[in-house]
Amino acid sequence: MKQQELGEITESPLTFRQYFTNIWDAIITTYKGMKITLKYVYGVKPVTVQYPEEREELPLNSRSRLFNDVENCIACMQCATACPVDCIYISAVKRDKDAPKVKTSSGSPVRLDLTMYTIDEALCCYCGLCTTVCPTECLTHTRDYEFSQYVLDGMKYDYLSPEIRAWRTRLIKK
Amino acid sequence: MQEKHYKEEKLKTELLTVSMGPQHPATHGVLRVEIKTDSEIVAEATPHLGYLHRCMEKHSENLDYRAVIPFTDRLDYLAAMNMELTYVMAVEKMLKTEIPVRAEYIRVIVSELQRIASHLLFFGTYAIDLGAFSPFLYVFQEREFILRIFEELSGARLLYNYIWIGGVWNDITDDQIKRIGTFCDTLDENLKKYHTLVGENKIFISRTADVGIINKDVAFDYGATGPILRGSGVNWDLRKNRPYGLYPKLSFNIPVGTGEKGKVGDCWDRYRVRVLEMHESIKIIKQCLAGIEAGPIMGKVPKIIKVPKGEIYMRTECARGELGYHLVSDGGKKPYRLKVKSSCFTHVSMLPAIAPGMMIADLVATIGSIDIVLGEIDR
Repeated sequence: MKQQELGEITESPLTFRQYFTNIWDAIITTYKGMKITLKYVYGVKPVTVQYPEEREELPLNSRSRLFNDVENCIACMQCATACPVDCIYISAVKRDKDAPKVKTSSGSPVRLDLTMYTIDEALCCYCGLCTTVCPTECLTHTRDYEFSQYVLDGMKYDYLSPEIRAWRTRLIKK
Repeated sequence: MQEKHYKEEKLKTELLTVSMGPQHPATHGVLRVEIKTDSEIVAEATPHLGYLHRCMEKHSENLDYRAVIPFTDRLDYLAAMNMELTYVMAVEKMLKTEIPVRAEYIRVIVSELQRIASHLLFFGTYAIDLGAFSPFLYVFQEREFILRIFEELSGARLLYNYIWIGGVWNDITDDQIKRIGTFCDTLDENLKKYHTLVGENKIFISRTADVGIINKDVAFDYGATGPILRGSGVNWDLRKNRPYGLYPKLSFNIPVGTGEKGKVGDCWDRYRVRVLEMHESIKIIKQCLAGIEAGPIMGKVPKIIKVPKGEIYMRTECARGELGYHLVSDGGKKPYRLKVKSSCFTHVSMLPAIAPGMMIADLVATIGSIDIVLGEIDR
């Protein structure tokens, strides 16, 4: 069988002088590097944030868990259309003519009653496109980033349910 | 008498096939390199791709033009700003939108900051590949500042969705401009320090110099771009040679590999080109911070974007090389076709050409110096 021929690794023979300059270079460069490293050991104070004990507050712009203030929602479906991953599920019925007239905080009349406003936050890609198209600014990204769940269905937030309404006060942007 | 089954004529040597990856710390993601080895020497290296394929191009055919931007972020997640910028510029060129000057300035600032962040990550992980751990932590401190600035600007740390069709999403404040300015000064100093720590080290030099040499001819044959091509001694930068955006107004140099420690086009040259590029980016950012003008940040864009019928190929200099988007429109709300030309893909395809004859440890150094991101290769 023909053996695979590989190029031989050729190294030029070391001269006496090169041998010692190599050693000298190694010592000098390692010394210079160690000087910098030692400066970091003693001269620089640690920057690590010890997470569960101390937390950094995220900047105001941060995009984290979504929150919909359903009282201000007019069910215009713009967020669901803008969403690139289709994780917003909305259904609404027409409001009765006899029912008392409701207005959002910005003054636009509510003509549709929400029957479902659910966001699958496990699918959400946190791009922020839904919040920017919202005409009444009721859908916002909060700065609340600690919302891990034990089951995947726990990430489906039904914003009409009272327990999710309860964290309305939690870290909502000004 | 029993016959010997190990006759001398029957003895033979054969090449051993080893799979490096898909879960291997040195392959930077889910790249699998099938190596045929003769003891310690690589005889053949074949990269296998497709472990991170997410159908990005097909997906974007079903989304409107604005909703594609978050998907382009996820191509090269380490240089997401540059990815967005190229796509957005392609759409803007089709729409013939005028972009406000302030937005142009902000775009250059963020894309150069992103280039620095990406190269810093290369610096750290390359040092880890070659056995030095502490430089990784030092450069991550610097990178953390950039990510924090991006978080304040755009709201996210990695996948920004910041550059929009017509401008940028959020304005930059005077305070942030000042902070970026001071950061640039300290980074300029620190980078020199890090270079003495890593790049001038004798161990690092003997691991990288004369290793993984990519000739000018090989680089041209395979269509290499970016730091790989410049490391091979070719002066080619799209920011200078095919200028776009604000770059014609700015003055900066293009670092080219010179073979300072070994031959032209070795791993050390590619490392050095990236470090020098960071210095040049700092220069660009400083010019932009000085020249930024007050004004609007969003141009006039229709609410529902309908791109006129036609096609365009837009390319820019990304952190890893030339990134191109071939956008075909049929006049509707969605792109008809969006083809991404990724630089990492061409760089990975060079591996079979340069790998034979080198040691396995040198292959790790070579893959590290090519600096690939699998998200961009597989898309």
